[in-house]
Amino acid sequence: MDDKIKRNAQPFTRRKFISDMAVLGAGATALPAWAQKPSAKTGTVRVWGEPGPYGGVAVDAMNEWAKKFAPGLTFKLETLAWDGVYIKLMTDLAAKNPAHCISVESPIAFQLMADLMLEPLDDVVQKVGRNRLVDGVKWEYWGAWKGKQYVLPAHHQATQMVVRTDIVKELGLGDPDKWSWDDMRNAARTISEKKKDVAGISLALGRNLCTDYHFAALLHSAGGRMFDPANKFEVVFDSPETVEALDYVKSLQPYMPKGAVSYSFLEVVDSIVTGRAAISFYWGRPYGRAAEENKPVFDALQSYNHPRHPKTGRRSNWNDFQGWCIPKSNNQYVDEVKAALVYYQTSPEWLVRYCHSLMPNVSPVYKDVLNNPKLMTHPFFQTKKDTIMNYYVNSLPHSSSTGNEMLKGINPLAGIVHGRSILAQTVQKVVVDNWKSADAAKWGAKEMEGVRKANLRLLGGVG
Amino acid sequence: MSALEFVRKTLAYAFLLLVTFLMCFPLIWALSTSLKPARDVMATPPRLIPSEVTFANYRNLILGKEQYFRADQTYVPTTAAPQHFTTWFANSVIVSAGSTLISIVISTLAAYSITRFRYWGRRIIPYFSLLGYMIPSIILVFPMFMVMSGLALTNSLWSLTFGYVSITLPFCMWLLWAFFRGIPIELEEAALMDGASRLRVFVDIVLPSALPGIIAAAIFSLIVSWNDFLFARVFINSIENLPLTVGVMHFFEGVHVDWGLMMASAVLMTLPMAVLFMLMQRHLVAGFGAGAVKG
Amino acid sequence: MSAESSPADWKKADTRIGILFVIPFAIAALLFMVYPVIEAVRLSFYEHNPLRPEASEFIGLENFRTIFEDALFWKSFQQAAVWTFCSIVLQTLIGVSLALLLHLPLRGISIFRGLLLFPYIVPTVVIALIMQWMLNAEIGVVNWSLKSAGLIDENIYWLATPSMAMLSTIFLNVWKYTPFVTICVLARLQTIPLELYDAAKVDGAGGFRRFLDVTLPQLAEVLTVVVIFRTIWTFNKFEEIYLLTKGGPGTSTFNLAIYSFEQSVANLRMGVGAAVGVVMMFLLFAGSLIYMRVFRFDEDDTA
Repeated sequence: MDDKIKRNAQPFTRRKFISDMAVLGAGATALPAWAQKPSAKTGTVRVWGEPGPYGGVAVDAMNEWAKKFAPGLTFKLETLAWDGVYIKLMTDLAAKNPAHCISVESPIAFQLMADLMLEPLDDVVQKVGRNRLVDGVKWEYWGAWKGKQYVLPAHHQATQMVVRTDIVKELGLGDPDKWSWDDMRNAARTISEKKKDVAGISLALGRNLCTDYHFAALLHSAGGRMFDPANKFEVVFDSPETVEALDYVKSLQPYMPKGAVSYSFLEVVDSIVTGRAAISFYWGRPYGRAAEENKPVFDALQSYNHPRHPKTGRRSNWNDFQGWCIPKSNNQYVDEVKAALVYYQTSPEWLVRYCHSLMPNVSPVYKDVLNNPKLMTHPFFQTKKDTIMNYYVNSLPHSSSTGNEMLKGINPLAGIVHGRSILAQTVQKVVVDNWKSADAAKWGAKEMEGVRKANLRLLGGVG
Repeated sequence: MSALEFVRKTLAYAFLLLVTFLMCFPLIWALSTSLKPARDVMATPPRLIPSEVTFANYRNLILGKEQYFRADQTYVPTTAAPQHFTTWFANSVIVSAGSTLISIVISTLAAYSITRFRYWGRRIIPYFSLLGYMIPSIILVFPMFMVMSGLALTNSLWSLTFGYVSITLPFCMWLLWAFFRGIPIELEEAALMDGASRLRVFVDIVLPSALPGIIAAAIFSLIVSWNDFLFARVFINSIENLPLTVGVMHFFEGVHVDWGLMMASAVLMTLPMAVLFMLMQRHLVAGFGAGAVKG
Repeated sequence: MSAESSPADWKKADTRIGILFVIPFAIAALLFMVYPVIEAVRLSFYEHNPLRPEASEFIGLENFRTIFEDALFWKSFQQAAVWTFCSIVLQTLIGVSLALLLHLPLRGISIFRGLLLFPYIVPTVVIALIMQWMLNAEIGVVNWSLKSAGLIDENIYWLATPSMAMLSTIFLNVWKYTPFVTICVLARLQTIPLELYDAAKVDGAGGFRRFLDVTLPQLAEVLTVVVIFRTIWTFNKFEEIYLLTKGGPGTSTFNLAIYSFEQSVANLRMGVGAAVGVVMMFLLFAGSLIYMRVFRFDEDDTA
């Protein structure tokens, strides 16, 4: 199938694709009887997903299930812009009209989970197979709370340090894989000085989620955290580590594009793809765009684990262990969504297709998918194998997110911190308003304390 | 024409042309971008006149673009993208026309009533409308959302239609009140004396003379509801129920913006109001003279 | 010539029809205008998280204390004042100039009129998108033009530096709403009796003199109204800023409307957002009172 796609210069039509998939689906791994239980329900099953093609693939898979077992149902994807998650969440929930199935960033999933708004999915996990996870991850990374699994893995997506190797080589800046924080900054400085119209490094510094994530990775590298799950989720943000991370961002700012203070996801990718920046932290998305829009940049790009913090030695990335969850209020399709999820999660073809839809952004979570020969048929494997393996596998020992800081415990407050852009605002106090890092850290800690106080119920029993 | 006058006129025209060009430049630029082939959109130096005119962006918006392809040619289903444009357009038409119709009917009746009858409380209505006219949507939007939520109307075109009534009704009322006050009453009185019914008088005499005011109010109302972003952002959740203003935001696909497509949608979004404006320009100015501004 | 000055018997008889005619308005106004405002005021005394509506709790003036103690509230207030002031001054100056220009008795002037009033009807979303595109620091046409004209050497970060972002939002606002001023002034200009000018001409007054002595006094009233209206509206604008800069960079283009929206949506503190709304309402009531005072329009109801 994939060979065919590669060889075929003709654009595929949706219909053709679906018919191909139907053939494949018929030959897929034996489906658990449970997922084959027919349903006579009718209507539209609303699925929230983030922008990107993979959500569409998953929903196509679910529709294939529906076609076979619940012909009255249609799964429909509603895309949530990253920065629009909260308004959608708020209005949908306030209107008592949440989606029937959600795929969101883990911090938000954790918040919903701790708020007991989700359906437990242990039965689904059982059917999908408990032993399938790739090495280095645990089920709880996607979302388990008080012994119950609430989130089913969709993929993991780590940030890596994206580097223009041509420039690094030309200026003799060493092996990016061995860089420390200082090395990366020196490289950024050298590039800014020597290369006209190329910024050394491009990070998001705007008041948005991308900035939250970029900064969180640095914070975790430095050994700092926002909350301490081991100690009643006390706020530990006002720390020397936070100050250090903020100082570091500030020291990188001269080598960033001037517009970085308003950058979000889009602008960072733009700066990489157009060749206006030589280093960045990013998920796998720039590769697809560069391959389409700027071949020389694509050829020169490689991704590595983030630079090493000189003292802690940590190379923390931001890894979004993104999964599927099922809101339980007013949800008449719980069983159907579960069955459809099992259907697509037990089909290697669909899972490979899911990963292929945005290479190398969405990493496989099951061993059988990672080792599936079909996965390797993607053309990027020929030129970008190291980068892909960094995203897929080598990122995992350094993975971190605010919802599970340095993999030391799930924290359901992180989603709210992001909703309020507290990290980004802390960064902006330093890079836009020229606050001292220590003051900004204090401000951030105070805001987080406010979040903690107002949401103690989420921590109930644990804190 | 004296030489001096000729120079003055030429200068005036030159100045007018310059000002008009500057004022219209954003729209001209949008139009130019929308007509460029994809490779020229980001080109430097940017060109005002496209080297080659293409309607691909418009075609994609109107006919829908089923999918696009990555370099590796794997199938990529588009999620939000252009195939919804015509739906959003229709939604915008429906809610703007709906709310305008409701506001105009209600305020015409009320304006007639408070300028022609005497009863307690009638004087308060213009004041009240003026205040309502002043209240920004940001104050109304969340309470209105709760009202809609209570009526189980959220995420429907009804919620937007009613939501826009809360913005357009006060100023339609205000404008029509001012307009009706200015319509001489003698003709109506004469007709009534002759034994015509109130309804007859209203339909045959009052409405025709109030027509310019009604048209002006209707245009303003259409513009306001067509242009709204906030209410739609908060009230509507599913992609197929969105009006244009919020819908096109989905063209920001996270890491990729097709500016050509974006500008084409900007042009198409402006077009209906532009046509309306051209047709009704006379009434607009009249409306301002009569109502929106006292004096 | 108003209702009360006409002594006809049939009037009282069908007051009922009059009331019937006003009932739809009364209902709509109660439902869609009065109730939301009351609800907004009520909310401002509650702690209300939209995700947990059942946990809504009365907390007195706590929300107001929160905002008055929040430096960002005051910063937003101050920035809104700057934004409003600059916008209004520019709109008025440009608006009046344009109106005078469009009042010239030239052939084809109505075409120019149409084109120059056009921005008023352009959706804010559209102009915000276009400006994002044109002001893009790296690939935007504005920086490119300024550079090739030799006016600047370095790209200007229109939306990424605080002062420039403020300038850009002011520009958007001025661009979009100057036509409002122009339309109003133009409408008034057209009603100034020509005899006034003729008299001034006889007195030997020059063009500028005539403007000061004849035109300006005639425009005084309409300008006052326009300035009051526009000040109230501009101060409370949301979309013009939100769509262009989202209040950024940092919080450098926050105004009260953005602050309120952020509190309600991002922070999920509807009560705090509503309290900001109440403050905004107080301000606009004050503005409206000035307007009503200036024009004493309760007395000329019978005009």
